[in-house]
Amino acid sequence: MSDPTFLLVAAGSAILGLVSGALGCFAILRKQSLLGDVVSHAALPGVMLVFLLFRTKAPFPLLLGGAATGWLCTMTVLRIVRSTRIPPDTALCGTMAVFFGVGIWLQTYIQHHVRDASQAGLDRFLFGQAATLLDRDVLWMAILGGVALGTMLLLWKEFKLLSFDPEFAASLGWPVRRLDVILMSALVLAIVIGLQSVGVVLMSAMVVAPGAAARQWTDRLGRMVALAGTFGAVAGVAGTWLSEQIQRTPTGPAIVLCATAIAVGSILVAPRRGLLWRFPAIWRRRHRSQLNSETTAIPGGSPQPR
Amino acid sequence: MIAIQVEDLTVAYGEQPVLWDIDWKVPTGVLSAIVGPNGAGKSTLIKTIVGLVRPVAGSARILNQPLRDARRKIAYVPQRNSVDWDFPTTVFDVVLMGTYGELGWFRRPGRRQRQAAWETLRQVGMEEFASRQIRELSGGQQQRTFLARALVQQAPVLLMDEPFQGVDAVTEQAVVQILRRLRDEGRTVVVVHHDLATVAEYFDEVLLLNVRRIAAGPCADVLTPENLRQAYGRVPVLWANAGPGKEEGVTREAGG
Ligand SMILES: Nc1ncnc2c1ncn2[C@@H]1O[C@H](COP(=O)(O)OP(=O)(O)OP(=O)(O)O)[C@@H](O)[C@H]1O
Ligand SMILES: [Mg+2]
Repeated sequence: MSDPTFLLVAAGSAILGLVSGALGCFAILRKQSLLGDVVSHAALPGVMLVFLLFRTKAPFPLLLGGAATGWLCTMTVLRIVRSTRIPPDTALCGTMAVFFGVGIWLQTYIQHHVRDASQAGLDRFLFGQAATLLDRDVLWMAILGGVALGTMLLLWKEFKLLSFDPEFAASLGWPVRRLDVILMSALVLAIVIGLQSVGVVLMSAMVVAPGAAARQWTDRLGRMVALAGTFGAVAGVAGTWLSEQIQRTPTGPAIVLCATAIAVGSILVAPRRGLLWRFPAIWRRRHRSQLNSETTAIPGGSPQPR
Repeated sequence: MIAIQVEDLTVAYGEQPVLWDIDWKVPTGVLSAIVGPNGAGKSTLIKTIVGLVRPVAGSARILNQPLRDARRKIAYVPQRNSVDWDFPTTVFDVVLMGTYGELGWFRRPGRRQRQAAWETLRQVGMEEFASRQIRELSGGQQQRTFLARALVQQAPVLLMDEPFQGVDAVTEQAVVQILRRLRDEGRTVVVVHHDLATVAEYFDEVLLLNVRRIAAGPCADVLTPENLRQAYGRVPVLWANAGPGKEEGVTREAGG
């Protein structure tokens, strides 16, 4: 457990969980959970294109390429929604399918036509393989994640206002569209750093699950974001460990399963909101009203107070 | 001094014009209502004045300044159902958001802003709910929270979209008292209102709107059966009964 590669890989997974969990809260609260899906799927063509053009395996250019197409896709969706009558979900799905399709096509092309493609380990971008993380990968994850988290902390009050009441924000003179783009860009960074260990297919779960779990436990935005970050980090480490234990499992699904387990657990047992606590209360209420109706049915049967 | 001056204002969503060539002036220190049927463009007019909707033609000026120079001078109370009340935040936090305009980029609310938020909460009688999650409020309490958020801005011009929606009689009276006090301090308050029966009681002036401006001015001059028929397509029953006999004929005519 304490071997250095595991520690490195776990650190990478913790960073990705922390950042995507924290920033994912804003996507959830703004009812833009699907955006995580869009960004991660649309990152694939960027990664492939950078590899094809520069034949590099260095993490920074690859992630930058992914961020670029992910961002481009998001902005395309926003443009379409603003300037046409196409509904948001249709715009999301359509645009995402195009970007992801191009990504898969590029990947297939690379596998068949580029000599050292398999060594480049590009297939890890689909389902994630944290075990292939190197020092420099984790370093870049930390840097990009730091930028995303730093932006969130710096613009905390602005993001909060934007998420709660964008119209009021605009009436105060805040440049709502620009804030929107900044928040979106931070989210793109958060997603891109998870591409190597979780992969484009499942990364959106890391945006949604920790936040959904955290929302069950608190009614404050600050606590929700902190808790979601913690849940994300825990899921990252636990998932990495799990995939090491079971031979030949990709880390992506393992990490996502852990995050989902936390979410399901929270939905069941969280105080007040948890389903487990609500069922007995409902049952008791029904039971009590039944008892009441029985006592009132007896004439003069109910005891007078005092 | 003119608080709000709207000139030749035309607004459209897509092709359909929603406001057509509106001219309207509100002097300072006045409590003014905007009245009209559903879909008349009342919310749109307010949103255009505070800069949320861009007009096709015409302009709105605040205290003789274009909007971009007068941001600090207006406070906007949106319709209550315009936000997600399940958002993880408290009453106090929402009120504090009213200070975000004066704070500017990056700065967090400090002691001064917190003090102001507390005082405003006290004014609207919501002190004891300060740390409540906003979902756990009644409609009237949510409305008061929104009102407090606007009051904390200390703006000379306030624009409110249906602040009496879903509010009980006691709260309505309390809110009216607050609005009157603001007016007596020399501020200007514009309110989208739905209850024709109370317009004349609560407000000094009224704008009667249905895409076009039907009439504007002191309540007694504007709320005539003829004007109301133009705005609503028929004389609202309450008015028809109070008005002269022949107007009942109009009602029946329009209804049948
Ligand atoms: N975002 C929008 N996109 C397209 N049309 C809109 C939009 N908002 C409002 N409209 C249309 O503009 C017209 C005026 O709407 P507005 O909300 O200003 O009316 P209102 O007078 O406030 O009505 P209500 O009394 O129901 O609140 C309506 O016909 C409405 O359908
Ligand atoms: Mg309206």
